[in-house]
Amino acid sequence: MTFPTGSGRDCARAWEAMPWVLQQSAPHEQSNWLMDHLAGCESCRAEFEQQSRLRRAMSLPSDIAIDANVGLKRLLARLDAPEPQVAPLRARSAGWLTRALVAAVLIQALGIGALGMKLWSESDNSMYRTLSQDTTSPAPPGAIHVVPDATMKLADWNALLRTLQLQVVGGPNDVGAYTVVPTHSASTSRATLQQLRATRGIRLAEPVTDTP
Amino acid sequence: MNEADIDADATDRMLLQRMSAGDRTALSVLYRSYHGRLCRFLSRLTRRPDVIEEVINDCFWIAWQKAGNFHGDSRVSTWIMGIAYRCGLKALRQHGDEPVDDDAIPEDRTPAHDPGEDRELRDWLGKGLDRLSTDQRVVIELVYGVGHSLDDVAVIMQCPVGTVKARLFHARVKLRNVLPALAGDSRATKESVS
Repeated sequence: MTFPTGSGRDCARAWEAMPWVLQQSAPHEQSNWLMDHLAGCESCRAEFEQQSRLRRAMSLPSDIAIDANVGLKRLLARLDAPEPQVAPLRARSAGWLTRALVAAVLIQALGIGALGMKLWSESDNSMYRTLSQDTTSPAPPGAIHVVPDATMKLADWNALLRTLQLQVVGGPNDVGAYTVVPTHSASTSRATLQQLRATRGIRLAEPVTDTP
Repeated sequence: MNEADIDADATDRMLLQRMSAGDRTALSVLYRSYHGRLCRFLSRLTRRPDVIEEVINDCFWIAWQKAGNFHGDSRVSTWIMGIAYRCGLKALRQHGDEPVDDDAIPEDRTPAHDPGEDRELRDWLGKGLDRLSTDQRVVIELVYGVGHSLDDVAVIMQCPVGTVKARLFHARVKLRNVLPALAGDSRATKESVS
């Protein structure tokens, strides 16, 4: 920075000191030093005169006169008003927030409902099966559990089924039982059951019931 | 800070303390005490009386709300001028800093007593300040008008002391070159600033 007063170091120091000496906030030593310098430096003396004039001009009261009493009255009235601008704004913002939250919850509920409906409608033909799901299909009407003897020949077994018009739809299970149903009629006649039981090589013949 | 400043600050602190307890009389005393200097300070930012009054009231509204939070890190005057400065800048952003025509100022707002010498001095200063930036005008007002130190001004303007120093320096150089010519003095010189 080049100081606008004389080029000497003292002039720069004087330039720095002037505002604070004028403010009377400078230490006495600094004020005294400046006065001594001004006595011998015309340039700084002229600058100090101008700074003094600036200080006087800046100290004049504002040329825009505003009535303090009127302003104070307005301020006190403002203190009495229960935050007219802030309170409604809070209420409005709270109402808006509540409505937004309710709308969000409704949208979520609708979404969950739609998803549930979709899953429920797809459950009948699902391509997978859960472990808890019952894997056994319900027994067809007229089904009979038949346990043939181990020594019964396959030809005899086939001939028996043909004679009684039965066909195997399941089995053998863990105990060697087959599930057979009538080929044509929807129900098994008691006579068919009797014939099965009377046939040599058939150890057990019992109609299948849906409930154990 | 001289003894008068220390006494004034002690009084201001006491008023703030009472304000924090809801004492409106203390608020009124502080308001009247600062009204003149705030008017002049804010007139360096805007020439609109309505904006100046609004800023002063915003400033004391905040002071009333935050009186209990004042911990004495600075002088009360520094604290209040800082609030006024920030409120003033905010008002300038909202209202613009365009000056109003003199005709727009009501008669009762012009100073009742304005001797010729003062008017001349005021005109001389006004023309000089017109050449300065807003920040430079504020620094000049705070140092020469209100009498704040560099540290105080840095707190008020929330900037480093070095920045205040630079603003003060450039403002002084500009005024030094402009003011003598405005006063009819041929002493105006051009000085380099590097």
